[in-house]
Amino acid sequence: MPAILRHAGQRLATTLLVLIGAVALLFVLTLFISGNPAQVLLGPRATPEAVRAFAEAMGLDRPVHERFALFLWNVLRGDLGTDVVSGRPVATLVAEVLPYTVTLTLSAIAIAVLFGVPLGCYAATHPGSALDRATAAVSIGFIAIPNFVVAILLLLVFSIWLDWFPVLGVSRSGDLSDQLARLVLPALSLALTWIGYIARLLRASLLEVLGEAHIRTLRAYGVPDRTIVYKYALKPAAIPTVAILGLGIGRLLGGAIFAEIVFARPGIGTLVYDAISSRNYPVVQACVLVVVALFTLTNLAVDLSYAWLDPRIRKAGDR
Amino acid sequence: MVDVTRRQLLAAGAALGVAGTGFSLPVLAQSETGAGRKSITLALPRDVQPPFDPLNRLSYPEGNILRAVLQGLIAFKPGSFEWELSAAKRIEQVSDTVIEFELKPGLQFHDGFGELTADDVKFSFERAIKPGPDGKLPLHGKDLSALEEVEVTGTHTGRIKLKTPAPALWQVVLPDNSGLIISRKAFEAGAYRADQPTKVIGTGPYRLAEWRPNERVVLRANPDFQGPKPGFEEIVLRPVRDSKTAELAFRADELQFTAIEPANAADVGKIPGTKILKQDSINFVWVGINVEKAPFTDLRVRQAIRLAIDVDQVIEGAYNGAVGRAYAPVAPGLLGYWKDAPRRARDVAAAKKLLAEAGVSGLRTRLTLLNKPAYQNAGIIIQAQLAEVGITLDLDVQEGGSYWSAGNGETGKTLELSLQRFGGKADPSFQLQWFTAAQIGSWNWQRWNNPDYDALFAKAGAITDAAERGRLYIEAQKLIDESAAFIWLTHEVNVYALKDWLVPGILPNGDDQLFNRFGAA
Repeated sequence: MPAILRHAGQRLATTLLVLIGAVALLFVLTLFISGNPAQVLLGPRATPEAVRAFAEAMGLDRPVHERFALFLWNVLRGDLGTDVVSGRPVATLVAEVLPYTVTLTLSAIAIAVLFGVPLGCYAATHPGSALDRATAAVSIGFIAIPNFVVAILLLLVFSIWLDWFPVLGVSRSGDLSDQLARLVLPALSLALTWIGYIARLLRASLLEVLGEAHIRTLRAYGVPDRTIVYKYALKPAAIPTVAILGLGIGRLLGGAIFAEIVFARPGIGTLVYDAISSRNYPVVQACVLVVVALFTLTNLAVDLSYAWLDPRIRKAGDR
Repeated sequence: MVDVTRRQLLAAGAALGVAGTGFSLPVLAQSETGAGRKSITLALPRDVQPPFDPLNRLSYPEGNILRAVLQGLIAFKPGSFEWELSAAKRIEQVSDTVIEFELKPGLQFHDGFGELTADDVKFSFERAIKPGPDGKLPLHGKDLSALEEVEVTGTHTGRIKLKTPAPALWQVVLPDNSGLIISRKAFEAGAYRADQPTKVIGTGPYRLAEWRPNERVVLRANPDFQGPKPGFEEIVLRPVRDSKTAELAFRADELQFTAIEPANAADVGKIPGTKILKQDSINFVWVGINVEKAPFTDLRVRQAIRLAIDVDQVIEGAYNGAVGRAYAPVAPGLLGYWKDAPRRARDVAAAKKLLAEAGVSGLRTRLTLLNKPAYQNAGIIIQAQLAEVGITLDLDVQEGGSYWSAGNGETGKTLELSLQRFGGKADPSFQLQWFTAAQIGSWNWQRWNNPDYDALFAKAGAITDAAERGRLYIEAQKLIDESAAFIWLTHEVNVYALKDWLVPGILPNGDDQLFNRFGAA
C-alpha cells in the first residue's frame, strides 16, 4: 500500500477517535453546567408539569452513559436527533445553516490568502524596508484586535459612513450580487487577523527557504529573483502557513459566531450559541460533532497537501 | 498540480484591491418616507421557534406572529389593554360563569380550510383542557384552566362555560395568544405543527409566507382578511441579537423599527427622520430575599436591607435615569395599582439599628443576578450601599441558562438575595400569581408563604366586580410589603427607534406587538 494511502487511513481512524472523544467530553461537560435545560427552554413562566414533560422529551431523565450511547448509535445511523424545541430533525437545522458558515469561513480564508501571501512575499524579499516594517506593524495590529471589535468598526466605516455595504448579513435568495455584498464585511472581519498571521509567518519561512542551498544554486545560475520566490521558494515556504491555516479553519468556524451575531447572519455559530444559551443539548451535540468533523477533516486535507507542496516530503513518503 | 504564478497572484490581489477601495457594491434601496411603502423590516431580539401554535408557542415573538395570522374573539387595541371585537360580532358575559359570543359570518381560513365557525372556537379552547394523543396538555393549557366547555349553539354562536368565575380571562386569554382561534380541519390535516412551520392557517390580517431559521420571517397581507387592511403588504422580521447591530441597521434603513437601550435613546434620536418612542412598561424588577434562609428568616434583617438600599440611586445608575421607580408589583394604570404604597427613603441609621436588634453583625451574603449590564450595574450599587450598613454582598452574576433555574427546586433553598425581572400582563392576577405558596420551588424565589395572601389572591381571581377585585389585589400587595422580602425597583421603560413616518402597534408591556397595526403616517 502506498505510504500516502496508509497515512490517510491512519489519519481517518484518528479523526473518528477525535470525534468520539469530543462528543464524550461534551457529555461530561454538560454534567457540570448549572441550570435545568427544560426550565431554561420553557422560560420563566413554565409550569412544573411542562418542565417535567420537556425533560422527559430531551431524555434528561436517563443516565448520562445511556444518553451518550444512544447518541453515538443514532449518529452512526445518520440521525443527529430531534430538536426538542421545534421538534425538527437536528440534521435539518444544521444543514440549513451550515452552508452560510462554510461560505463565510472559506471567504475569510480566501481574503486572508489573497492579501496575506503577497504581503508576506513582499516583506520577505524586502526585509527591513519601510513597507516591511509597516506590514509588520499592520499585521500585528490585525492579529491583536478582536474579531468583534473589527466587525463593529467595519460596519461603522463601510456601512454607515461610506454606505458601501449593507449591515445585516444575508439577503433573499436569488440575488447573487446582494448576497456577495452582504458577505464582504463579515468575511473581512474574520480575515483581517489571518492576513496578519499569514503575512508574518510566510515572511519568516520564506526568508529561511531563501537561505537554503538550492536557492543559492538557482541564483548562481542566474534565475531571476521573482521566479525563485514564486516558483521555487513559495511552495516549500508555504507549508507552515498551510498548517496554520488548517488550524485556522477550525478557529474560524468557532470565531464565525461573532461575525454571525454582529452581522445577524444565520450559521452554525448562532445555532450553537442559541442552543447553549437554552441548554438545547441535542442541537449543541450535533453542532459540536459537525464542527469537530469539519476541523479534523480539514486538518487531514492539510496533512495530505504537504506532499503536494514539497516534493521532498512526497519522495520521503514513497520510500 | 496547479502552479500559482506571480501574474495570477497579482491579478487576484488587484481585483480584490479594487473591490475593497473603490467599487461600490449595491445596498438595499432606501426610503425616506412611508408613502407608498409596501414592506417594512422589524427587528426581533432572537430567532423565533416553531411550532406556531397558540397553545404551544414558546414566548412573545412567536405569539406576536400568531396574533398577525390568527384572530381571537376579541383583540387588544394598540397602545392599551382595552379590547375591541375581532372575530366576534358580539361577545357578552351573561353570568359569572358564562360568556356568549357570536362570530362575524364569512371569516375564511387560508388555503381553503373554510369558514371560521363556533366549532373552531370550541376546538381551539377545549384543546387547552383536554390531553392530546400523547396524554399531555398543551404548554399554555393552564391559561384556560377555568374552562368547563364551549357549547356550540349555532354555526356562528356559542357559549363559553366556566367552572368558576374567571374575570382575568378577558385580559390574559380572550384578547391574548391563548385565545386565538385555529381551524379544526387544518389542525387535523397537520397544520400548526413544528415540522411544518409555515403551515399556520388563520383568518387574520397576515399569512406566514416564509420562515427561514435565524434569517427572517415574512408576513404577507391576507387578501381574504375581512377586517381593516393592514398598513403594509409585507412585514419582514429579522432576528438581530446584538443591540448595536440593530442600531446600525436602523441607521442604514435596513430596519425601520427596533428596540434600543434606553441609554442610547438620545444618540439614536439624532438620526434624521427618526422618532424615539418611550413607553412606560408594566414589567417589574425587584430584589427578592429568601425568607427561609437564615438570617433572612428574621423580619428585622429584611427590613434593614430594604432601608439600606437607595432605590432611586440604583435605578439612576443602572438605567441612566431613564425609568421610573416602582413601589409595588402592579404598575400604574392597571387594576389593583396601589397608589398609596409606601415611598420609603434610605435610612442607614435605622438599618444598622435593626441589624443590631436582630443580633446580626458582619453579615456576608450573595445577590444572584442575570448578566445584563443594567442588572450588573444595579448589583454593584446595591453592593456599595449594603457595605455602608456592614453587609458584605457578593455578586453572583449568571448567564440566562443558569440564572433562570437558580430559584427552582432544591437549588432555590440556597438562594439568598436575587435580582429579578418578570414581564407583566394586563391583569394583576398575572403579576401576583408568582408569590403564592404554590409557586415556592418554581417562581416564588423568596419562598415567602402567607396563607392570607393566597386566600386573597384566590378570592380576587374568582369575582367579577372589578372594583372589589382591585381592592383585594391592593390588600394582597400590602401583605407583600409587610414581608419586607421584596424591594421593588422599577417597572422599566420600553424604548424603540422608528422611522418618523411609522405608526407602531405596541401593547403597554412592550413585548406584545400588533404587526397588523403598524402603518405609515
